[in-house]
This record gives sequence, C-alpha cells and structure tokens, in this order.
Amino acid sequence: MDEAIRAAQIMVVDDDQDTVAILAHHLRREGFVPIEANSGAQCLKLVHENEVDVILLDLMMPEMDGFEVVKALRDNPETAEIPIIMITARDDLDARAEGMRLGVSDFLAKPVFRRQLAGRVRAQLEVVETARNATAAMDRLEAVKNRSQH
Amino acid sequence: MALQAKFAEAETPFAVERALVGAHPAIVKLRALIERVAPTEVTVLITGESGTGKEVVAQAIHRLSPRSLQPFVPVNCAAIPHDLLESEMFGHERGAFTGAAGSRHGLLATADRGTIFLDEIGEMPTGLQVKLLRVLEDGVVRPVGADRATRVNVRVIAASNVDLGTAVAKGAFREDLFYRLQVVPIVIAPLRERRSDIPLLTEHFLERIRDRTPGREIAISREAMVALWSYDWPGNVRELENMVERLAILCEGSIIDTSILPENLVAGARPATAPIAVKLSDGAVNLNDLVRELEGRLINDALKQAGGNKQAAARLLGLKRTTFSAKLRRCGVIAPASLDDREEDSTSKELYG
Repeated sequence: MDEAIRAAQIMVVDDDQDTVAILAHHLRREGFVPIEANSGAQCLKLVHENEVDVILLDLMMPEMDGFEVVKALRDNPETAEIPIIMITARDDLDARAEGMRLGVSDFLAKPVFRRQLAGRVRAQLEVVETARNATAAMDRLEAVKNRSQH
Repeated sequence: MALQAKFAEAETPFAVERALVGAHPAIVKLRALIERVAPTEVTVLITGESGTGKEVVAQAIHRLSPRSLQPFVPVNCAAIPHDLLESEMFGHERGAFTGAAGSRHGLLATADRGTIFLDEIGEMPTGLQVKLLRVLEDGVVRPVGADRATRVNVRVIAASNVDLGTAVAKGAFREDLFYRLQVVPIVIAPLRERRSDIPLLTEHFLERIRDRTPGREIAISREAMVALWSYDWPGNVRELENMVERLAILCEGSIIDTSILPENLVAGARPATAPIAVKLSDGAVNLNDLVRELEGRLINDALKQAGGNKQAAARLLGLKRTTFSAKLRRCGVIAPASLDDREEDSTSKELYG
C-alpha cells in the first residue's frame, strides 16, 4: 500500500503560481506526484486527462472560485468521488461552512504545516483504499460462494 | 402462531442505514458489503480504530443473517483475564480447576446456532488461538477438563483495532487462524477520513435525542457544526456521539452553540472577527507576529471582497499588485519549518483521557 501512496497523483489548484509551486514542491518531497493547475477551468480539464487521486483546492480564485469547482467536480459522476481538500485562511469560518455544506473531504488552514499537508493527503488516500477494499471484498465473497456451490 | 405473527409485525425491520449512518463512498460500500456478506456463513474479520463501530457492523451482519433470531454473543477478548478466557469461551467441567465447583457452558455453546463476536481478537493468547481454529474448522468445542468435544454451530465474527496482518508478521498472531478469519475482511474508516459525514451523524444523534425526549427542541448552530466538522475525533463516531449527548445536556436553550463547546473543539472555528486586542501591560508582545496576523486577516478579507481577484484586493488595501503579492507570500501558504515541530494539530487531542 505504501508504494501506491507514494505514486499518488495530487492536483494542486491555485491561481497564484508561486503557491502552486510551493505546495507541489512539498508534495514531491513526500513522494507524491503533483499536477499543477492555475484555475478552476484548468482543474476541470486536467482532472479528465489524468488519474487524480486527491485535489488540493484554493477557494479564492478569480472567475471560477473554489466552490464552483467543488460543485462541478461533485456533479460529474466521473469525478464525484475524488477527495477534495480545501485550503482556507486559518479563521475563515464562512469558507469552511460552505465547504462543509458542499461536502468537501477535508480542509487545510493557511499557513499549512508540512506534516499536516502530508498527513491529510495520506488520510484521503487511505479512505479511497478502504472503499476499494470493500469492493474487492465483495468480489472475494462471490468467489467463495461460487467455490462452495461447485 | 397468531401471536408469533403479531410479534413479527411489531418488529421494525433492521435497517443498516440507521445503524451505519453516512453518505461517504467508504460507508456506502461498507453497507453494501454488509448486506452481501450477512446472508452467507463466511467468517468475517472487522478492522477499525476504537469507536468506529466494529460491534455495530457485527450486529448488523447478525441481524441481516438467517441467524438473526438466534443469540448474538459479544466477547471482548481484552477485557477477560487470559487465564479465564478459555473457560469463559469453551466452558468447563466440574473440578476442572480450583474453584470450578460445577460444570458450565461456555460462550461458544451459548452462541450455538447464532453468532459469536470476538472483539480485540489480537489479545487472544496463542494457546487459545489453536482451540479457536478447531472450532472454525471442525465446529467442535471441548470444555476445560472435558473428555469429549461437543459440536457447535456458530458463525464467528472477529474484530481488531490493529492490523492483524502486522501482528502475524511479528509472530504475535497465528497465521493459519488469521487466514481462516479473514475470509472476508471488512475495514471501517476512521471518522477524520470521512469528515463529510460529521454533519449527517450529528443530525442523526440529535434526532435520536428529540425522539427520546418528546417536545424537546434541539438544534446546532452553524459555527458549532463547523467546529465539530473541523475536529479530528480520535475516538471516532463513539466520541462524536458522546459529545452530542453531552452538548444536549449542557445546552440550556434549543440551540447548541460554540459557547458550550470544549476549548480544543472550538479552537479551530473561531470567528474571523475576533479583535486583536493587545496591551503592553499584558506582558511582552511580539509586534512582528501581530502585524503578520493583522496583515493576513486584511489580505484575506480583501481577497474575499474582491472575489479572489488579487489586483482588486491590492487596490482595496491601497497596495501595488506586486507589494500585495509579496505580502501574500509572506503570510505564506506553508508555515515556516521552525513552526512545524511545534505544531501539534490543535484538533487532534483526545477529549476524554
């Protein structure tokens, strides 16, 4: 499982290129593969072109803000289950409430602590793995049932 | 017969959605797995942190199985002293050991035709693990001090809050028993990994309180809900459940708000408007930190007002775009490395000791 986590592709979405670069740098150091996006539109485009495991999303973006991106991702069955971690200002209660309402998976408050960044990304990868294991267990159950019937 | 029919009517059908509340894909799939595994006879191994609901899952499997009208016997292997566990589980004959005045049925015999739930199975002594393996393979139980084994028909559901595979690798758990138990492995995600279910669960617990106390109106404020949502819940669903119960007791009106929340829970959800009020008489202050915090807040407010447009936000603060960007960077997306070691996620401390 560790191998799978190391190869995970994490999309970073922020209109500020420096912020994207900094987050990507830290994700790379943790063994993840970052995918960089500078706008909501680019995020929605790249998410279909790559296998994205987790999305780190800044809420404050011009044109299409983070919430619209969350809605668009959640409304599309292909992307509905990708975990989204929103990045908010430490004390931005309104943003957090809105994210909670829209069903984002988790949040990171700025300034982000390195350990927290890696920990929260890993937690989302783990829960995806848990859901995948449930599906695998169902397949296994079918195999056991078939074996006992023959 | 008529009476039986009446009972059957009165009994509400077991709904796994009520027992395992959540809309997160991991929980939706878990419920589907439970419904599929329940009608079969296979052994199940449930892994999940403490408080995630391992016994709830085991009970759900039992109640949805053809054994549902037979006993469900939970055994916590960690709560019973090792030297007593064998006679508790397998029973004993009179005089089998000092103090065994009479013979006694074990819990496996009690669970005959039903389900036995072996919680914290990793704590089971290795000697007993061998005996359990025999139960699973041959369906026989030999009470302590008995010459003959008796047949039992039990479905075994085991649970552990640690990964038993690791215990096997360390030699602390028998590999053969491990593979025999985990025919179908079920993993329950910790609550912090499926944070989006916190509002749903909170509402579910509040509704239960309302049902229990007719006429009681109780709801939660948006700020308090955000605080619950932001917290990491090391004690998982059980801790959240206890917290909602506790808040309902503490709440004097009909709305649970942040004023009655424990300090560590509310820390992550303070309103942005809290003033920065400092007097030198309070002791030494760090002007740089305060300026940085004020800058951070104003930058955030300006960005919000400008709908994320940095040029407009800079104008609102009377700054050049380049100065604004520099300040934005200084307020930083990543905390300085020096702070990293000091950071103990304020939301991750356990509420109960």
